[in-house]
Amino acid sequence: MTNEVLIRELRDALGDAHVLHLPEDLIAYEYDATIERARPDAVVFPGSTADVAAAVRIANTHDVPVVPRGSGTGLAGGAVPVQGGVVVAMTRMRRIVELNAANRIAVVEPGVINLDLQAACEPHGLRYAPDPSSQRICTIGGNVGTNAGGPHTLAHGSTVNHVLGVEVVLADGTATWLGGRQPDVPGPDLRGVFCGSEGTLGIVTQICVALTPLPHEVRTMLAIFDSVEAASEAVSAIISGGVVPVAVEMLDQEIIRIVEPQMHVGYPLDAGAVLLLEVEGLPEAVAADAERVVAACDAAGARELRVAESAEEREGLWEGRKGGIGAIGASSPNFYILDGVVPRTRLPEVMSQVNALADEYGFRCANIFHAGDGNLHPNIMFNELDEGATERVLELGGEIMRVCVEAGGSITGEHGIGLEKRSYMEWVFGEADLDSMERLRLAFGAGERFNPCKVLPTGHGCASGHAAELRGHLAAPGVYI
Amino acid sequence: MTSGTADLREALPADGRREAPDYPIDGAAPQIAQQPRTREELAGLLASATEAGLAVVPQGSRSALDLGRPIDRYDVALDMRGLDGIVDYEPADMTVQVGAGMTLRALRAHLAEHGQYLPADPPPGDDVTIGGLLATARPGAWRGHMPAARDLVIGMEVALPDGSLVRSGGRVVKNVSGYDLHRLHTGALGTLGVIVEASFKLVPLPPATRSFAVRRPSVRDAARLAIELRDAALPGRALSVLAPEAAVRLGLPDDAHVLLELAGYESALDAATTRIRDVTERSGGGLGDAPSGAWDALRALTGATDGVVLRLGVPATRIAATIEAARGLRGTAWGHVAAGSVVIHAPAIDVTSVRVLRRNVEAEGGFLVVESGPPALRAVVDPLGASTRDLVGALKRQFDPTGTLSPGRWEVGL
Repeated sequence: MTNEVLIRELRDALGDAHVLHLPEDLIAYEYDATIERARPDAVVFPGSTADVAAAVRIANTHDVPVVPRGSGTGLAGGAVPVQGGVVVAMTRMRRIVELNAANRIAVVEPGVINLDLQAACEPHGLRYAPDPSSQRICTIGGNVGTNAGGPHTLAHGSTVNHVLGVEVVLADGTATWLGGRQPDVPGPDLRGVFCGSEGTLGIVTQICVALTPLPHEVRTMLAIFDSVEAASEAVSAIISGGVVPVAVEMLDQEIIRIVEPQMHVGYPLDAGAVLLLEVEGLPEAVAADAERVVAACDAAGARELRVAESAEEREGLWEGRKGGIGAIGASSPNFYILDGVVPRTRLPEVMSQVNALADEYGFRCANIFHAGDGNLHPNIMFNELDEGATERVLELGGEIMRVCVEAGGSITGEHGIGLEKRSYMEWVFGEADLDSMERLRLAFGAGERFNPCKVLPTGHGCASGHAAELRGHLAAPGVYI
Repeated sequence: MTSGTADLREALPADGRREAPDYPIDGAAPQIAQQPRTREELAGLLASATEAGLAVVPQGSRSALDLGRPIDRYDVALDMRGLDGIVDYEPADMTVQVGAGMTLRALRAHLAEHGQYLPADPPPGDDVTIGGLLATARPGAWRGHMPAARDLVIGMEVALPDGSLVRSGGRVVKNVSGYDLHRLHTGALGTLGVIVEASFKLVPLPPATRSFAVRRPSVRDAARLAIELRDAALPGRALSVLAPEAAVRLGLPDDAHVLLELAGYESALDAATTRIRDVTERSGGGLGDAPSGAWDALRALTGATDGVVLRLGVPATRIAATIEAARGLRGTAWGHVAAGSVVIHAPAIDVTSVRVLRRNVEAEGGFLVVESGPPALRAVVDPLGASTRDLVGALKRQFDPTGTLSPGRWEVGL
């Protein structure tokens, strides 16, 4: 009964066309790119900040949760409405409100697709630097929610480093700007702490981002190695030698053998690992950087180094990287994407441990990841129809996260905590640390109303996120890292 | 001295005791000054002060105590300079974990041995502490060209008024586990917790740097040229527009100038220099080397504590107009193109003029902050934007419910 009233009120406020409530319509909004599911009571598609505020106020009067959602490409279950309630899908709010080339900023609505913003910037000789691999489909609002990274994070930083300000609707239904149109607005950095808060503090309704100039020249190189260890050594040598390439991506043998037959991008099938390296700047700087990169790769035992001679070749090299995860989907019934970070210098030993663990559990494991940042993405392949396979994969995933934590690293570099990793939070943070994070949530007034059961391991009415009662979630084919 | 302060003073280690009159703020000395040597000692001090209802003001090099409103109460000066060690430095990982009391100068010297640095040039100079650098988040000329300290901080330990020590982030360069409370504390002026330690992602020192000054007939002309140079996408580390009054202070002729710094390989700097020469000659010439020490002088001027210093966030295209407005108030002004900021230094500016300036920049989505000035001015100019006052109040009540840390910085009683 309450539900009917809730839906009627939402339809009155946002219009019939912008509210879904029939069970068959709600199914598509039960999950994101993980497999965990939960059905919302309603899905609304606001067209403005006022619509978002209205939806939040209505949800408040019915005491139901609010869960913001972009394109649903999240890899940690962040958009799954575990306690039902109202899913606020931002896909209708996709206007680029302002593209101010003279002042190098853009103001966008949260539903704008990352690549669409890139395309809009390009004619002005500008770009929006964060480029997650899902950029053809993920939204800027979602990028803010997870503080998304991408291959070029190494030199350019994550989403938070490019967001100047956000307009957000808070739990009480009021809208406010955090940050602004220039950096370093006085006061505590509310903009900074909001980025990566995974929809638990408020709903982003507008974003002001900083744009940066396109480089004069870009050089993309492929270095081929006999082993992951040798490639990792090269990564450390390049960076500690004073060159920070804009991207340093690694693909191991397993993923090369999956990608190459499907995509024909020229990765040698017998290589132990390849590095995709990119440097940019004035031609003179590119030449100097490239020379150092080549020397470091040679010293680490690279058996070959190729340089993309044209834009097409460059695209080709990147296609293999960006389409890599899709290729796994085509070659294994199921796979589980992990996201962990370790200090760069620990990569060789951590990679050996990861592969040894996968062997021990009897699963194939393909690695395609941001080596320069020490950001691992082991992909564990399995068939969920094999008895006990799912449980064993989850257990393996937990063990790999443990390895990352013990190496001085972290449980997520860019995918977020969401639902998936709440149980691991206690591996990294103590009680007092988590308590101070809870204080932040309380200060924003969201309590457990906004995206409940996410990020923090505890929450009223949530399945326990304590490590001992670990549950995990599987990636669906076609997801991205 | 009240019984609460006397009890606290007795409870604190004698070797960390400092002379209270050496720590005045707005002319008032505290009752106690203490310099803890360990984080535990610091946390204990906070817990005791909170219990006794005393007000504590954390401070490092004491160069930015004018930020925010004059505080309501001041019982304890917390001198952070005792926590000045490098906790962990892995040159190959390009990350460092450092005590909040270490000076930027000491950190830079250490990192330079490995060809690395933290690319921050806050006012007034390298004597600022790391904790102060983060808590004040004051930008310098490199802002917008290099990532700022707030962009490079990857983890933090903070002491809360209840005596708990809490961490966020970590020691890896890319990390989205949990809320980034280390970002919240940047710019918070130590009002939500005291920064004890911070970890940073570092960058390589540039192989070479080169600075130029371009003389222009007017501020407008200088600003136009600066934007043209920005659009040339050269390997720059700073690009600033100087009013004639500012140019004179740096040892330049009494004219508007563009001051810029390049950083990178010599070969790239040669190429960039050629491009700069082309651009400047096309629009009237005037290219010369910058006087040595020009950037340090500009930093010191930004951090001046005599008179009034205002920092305004404005679009790059409004820098010239803002500088002209400042000149009308007999201010010395300069702007940084990439960050979109203008700094004004003046012997005195009346409240009405500050309000007019503020209204004008806010109308364009910008902001104004009083970085230094007499208490009477700082008491009436809201240090926060109106839109965030409620949230900052809510944060204060969560993190410092007893009002221990610099009470009144944001508004009376807060």
